[in-house]
Amino acid sequence: MQKQPTQFPDRAALVAHVKALSPGVSDDAVSETRGGRAAAEALLAAIDPTAYGHSRNYLDGAVTRLSPYVRHAIVSLNELRNQALELGYGKAIEKFIQELGWRDFWQRIYTQNPDWLWHDIEPYKTGFVASDYANTLPQDIATGETDSAAMNHFIHELKTSGYLHNHARMYLAAYIVHWRRVKWQAGARFFLGHLLDGDPASNNFSFQWVASTFANKPYFFNLENLQKFAGMRAPCDFHTNKCFGGSYDDLALKLFPKMAAP
Amino acid sequence: MSQLIWLHEDCLRATHRLFTEAASADAARPIFIWDDVYMTAMHYGLKRRVFIYESLCELPVDIYVGDTIDTLKDLHSRLGVDEIVTGKTPNPMLKAMMQNLRAEVKLSAIADAPFVQMDSPPDLRRFFKYWNKAKKNAFLYDGRP
Repeated sequence: MQKQPTQFPDRAALVAHVKALSPGVSDDAVSETRGGRAAAEALLAAIDPTAYGHSRNYLDGAVTRLSPYVRHAIVSLNELRNQALELGYGKAIEKFIQELGWRDFWQRIYTQNPDWLWHDIEPYKTGFVASDYANTLPQDIATGETDSAAMNHFIHELKTSGYLHNHARMYLAAYIVHWRRVKWQAGARFFLGHLLDGDPASNNFSFQWVASTFANKPYFFNLENLQKFAGMRAPCDFHTNKCFGGSYDDLALKLFPKMAAP
Repeated sequence: MSQLIWLHEDCLRATHRLFTEAASADAARPIFIWDDVYMTAMHYGLKRRVFIYESLCELPVDIYVGDTIDTLKDLHSRLGVDEIVTGKTPNPMLKAMMQNLRAEVKLSAIADAPFVQMDSPPDLRRFFKYWNKAKKNAFLYDGRP
């Protein structure tokens, strides 16, 4: 049994070594995000919980980018919360700490119900049943060649950087499940294969929340919402994102036709 | 008691409680098993694998390649340690490995510092049921009064 090296002349040498240890991995992309506690501490020192509370839903908002480090316990939720408490108090940091609560919530469910991870927790509330959804991810989604420029942008970012802003994840997950009627499990597998912070619990249960198998209604969005929160970072014009055009009522009729109002 | 510290992907921090509360001063150097079959089952591509390896390079850890259970049993036997200490995790695959090891070896899985401490289990049917209970301590240092 041979110990593996932990020192390399440069990052390319480390990447080559990891590739050699991963014979079945065909994807060649490597994120610019560096692993390790040093990189995490630099981000930890820069968190701004108050600004996060105001801007977290915008794709250029003051998010921490600490999620890959939290995922592998390189930074604990406890120390992240304690750091936030040293920088602010009360309402100003409420949203920041509540978002940490989401991770704790998913982890608790994962511990109690590991069998929920890949199974529908509840039926879909979309008017469809699980068998109405495709089992596999369509090729144009896997390659980022869909009819939506914004979704293609998110897919490309996911595959190259291993990161997506949470709101972009929700948009892309909703697109996969509701616009393309693909089972959430196929989307969850796609995300887990690329996200540096992909956690089975946070990823899969969030997908179930979007799909409505762990929520009272499906999550979906329209072009106006996409333009407001993502317009500064992704191509969100109508002509390259026609499928999202219209009011929420119009889209609900189109996406969930069996759910017509009584 | 001599110990073997097993770091897996859910406890990659030198200040994790498994070090601060369980590991003895004479514990052997921590180990990480680079298990390709496990990583493939977790759907990990190259990006994630590089991130994990880079993270390991900053830790005082020896990395071995192989099947996790076989490698741990082999090291346990060769080093003649009494106990394997590792981090607690909800991951069913890692938990199954721990269960398998416990048939032959003493193994302790240590939980990390909790985000929030609660007197009784929260209702997990929806986030806000959980949050209404958790928020009482979530805004306190170390998540407790």
